[in-house]
Amino acid sequence: MRQATLSSLTRNTVVWRALAIAVVVALLVFAFLQSASAADVADTESVAPGTNKFLQTVMKGTIYGLLLALASVGLSLIYGTTGLSNFAHGESVTFGAATAFVAVGAGAPLWLAIIIAVAAGAASGWFQDVILWKRLRKRNVPNMQQMIVSIGLALVMVNLLQIWIGPDKVRLVTSSPVDRQFGPIALSNFDLIMVAICIVALGSVSYFLMRTRLGRATRAVSDNPALASATGISVNRVIRVVWMMAAALAALAGPMLALYTGTLNFMLGADILLMMFAAVTLGGLGHPFGAAVGALVIGIVAKLTEVYSPAPDLKNASVLAILILTLLVRPQGILGRKERVG
Amino acid sequence: MDFNDILQIVVSPVTAAFALAAIGLNFHYGLTGLLNMGQAGFMLIGMYGYAISVSHGLPAWAGLIIAIVGAVLFALLLGWPTLRLRGDYLAIVTIAAAEIVRIVGRSQWLKEWTGGNTGIRGKDFKDPFESLSPFPDKLIRIGPWQFHGNAWWLLTVAWILVALFALLFWRLKSSPWGRVMRGIREDEDAVRSLGKNVYSFKMQSLVIGGVIGALGGIVFAHSQAVSPDSMSRTTTFWIWTALLLGGAATVFGPVLGTCLFWALFVLIRQVGPLMLPNLDGTQVEPLALAFVGLGLILLIVFRPQGILGNRREIAING
Repeated sequence: MRQATLSSLTRNTVVWRALAIAVVVALLVFAFLQSASAADVADTESVAPGTNKFLQTVMKGTIYGLLLALASVGLSLIYGTTGLSNFAHGESVTFGAATAFVAVGAGAPLWLAIIIAVAAGAASGWFQDVILWKRLRKRNVPNMQQMIVSIGLALVMVNLLQIWIGPDKVRLVTSSPVDRQFGPIALSNFDLIMVAICIVALGSVSYFLMRTRLGRATRAVSDNPALASATGISVNRVIRVVWMMAAALAALAGPMLALYTGTLNFMLGADILLMMFAAVTLGGLGHPFGAAVGALVIGIVAKLTEVYSPAPDLKNASVLAILILTLLVRPQGILGRKERVG
Repeated sequence: MDFNDILQIVVSPVTAAFALAAIGLNFHYGLTGLLNMGQAGFMLIGMYGYAISVSHGLPAWAGLIIAIVGAVLFALLLGWPTLRLRGDYLAIVTIAAAEIVRIVGRSQWLKEWTGGNTGIRGKDFKDPFESLSPFPDKLIRIGPWQFHGNAWWLLTVAWILVALFALLFWRLKSSPWGRVMRGIREDEDAVRSLGKNVYSFKMQSLVIGGVIGALGGIVFAHSQAVSPDSMSRTTTFWIWTALLLGGAATVFGPVLGTCLFWALFVLIRQVGPLMLPNLDGTQVEPLALAFVGLGLILLIVFRPQGILGNRREIAING
């Protein structure tokens, strides 16, 4: 199935991408019409005057989607190279946020705290691979059983994190951000910096994957580990780098998600784990750019549900419903190749 | 240390409820190799189905039927998109669907029916069951165990259910139907090439295990109350740990595993503070839970067949 002819593959992909974009646009138009009718009721409590509530929500959703993308790319890379659905990835996000929180508490400025968190994240990825995952690969433990191991690891980490930073919600910074007006939308400095960081980080990942030697090796391992190994690529080294990168990206997403929502607690990552899975599945399992596309869609839909649906507490449910629908209609995801997944 | 607490938890209705859920999961994972990560969702469906119907005036048997039908529909809904796909899709979808049930259940949106995040109070739905109780309405002590009369009644019924479903598992496992199931677990393509409808067999397994899970949910609701947050993702992971501890694909594995799981859980909660005196009260529970996770990892790595299992039988590779 993988050897589909190039032309048919491209045509198929183009058609599907067009369809996917059309669906998203239709959703946005629908939501816009809703907002236009809702505007008559004039609920201006949550937005400043001069701000278009719909555009504002989409913008906020986009930022949320970018943060989610940052967190999910690693999940997708790990899946691509090792075939493991890592249920402990959410805890890598929390670990980053918790490290930044402790660093800020110890007197570090925020930027330094985030750098420390990323470094600690990379170290934890390395550590996890050395202690656990490499050994499991060596023993040829099947992927399904490794997945259960990752669930156990998630349980261990989430509870240790709770013991470490306590059960309560805490704030990373005490000052609340001030919004500035940009035409019909209002954004704070934090928002702008976060968007910049996300774009730089995601850009670096794609540069790494597409242009560097190690990145090409990573894609080769993703495609066919045995063949990659036969051409002289050190599969274990590539996977170790992927683990470090994935955990570091998640650790970068952690403190920024904490800034975005205002608070963090030990469940920060566990709460978005299923959103990340939804993003990765929607984009195409194992396809890193797919994860980013999926995360953007998921972020926007989540925010729109939160603001416009009659039951805002169903935000996560709407996202998970998208996940189930994706599997029904197009199990390989938006960017995934059409092949038998079974 | 108080051994009475441990003895008490081992026979308590909560343990029986989890044992039922674990037997259901054993149909999924042990028999067919399905990775259902949403068993707590099935339990929630069961308890909501029963409690909502009974608290709105339907008789108990109707509530039971509604709970079972709910679980069947839930299983069909989950199996439909995923059972043709690779195993981890089922895992992701079931875990997501169980969360949806919990989120919808605790949402203010359906508060009138589900009671929102506070759930449904026990006295709204327990009466029909408790009025059948032959035990007097007071604390009764039998041997080392001391429960209220209603709890004795509940745990009698619950353990009889556990025994019945363990018996069912034993009969079905070695039946021709069960051999097809185990064939699917070992090599799906081989079974397909024999002309069996693998999709339909997997669906049957998902439905049967889900219904048993829903019954476990009803038992759980009777031992406490309907509260959505007591059935989160973590609950599913507990059931998995219990099943793998006892031994998947064995008849008594899920029961033994659940009893041991709760005994160890209580033990760690008692021993933890003695070993680490610096721990404050709020940190004991997470410590015990961290040990559950560690136990799960060690089990899969060193003894995937659990206590009773056969290592060659349970080499599952989705």
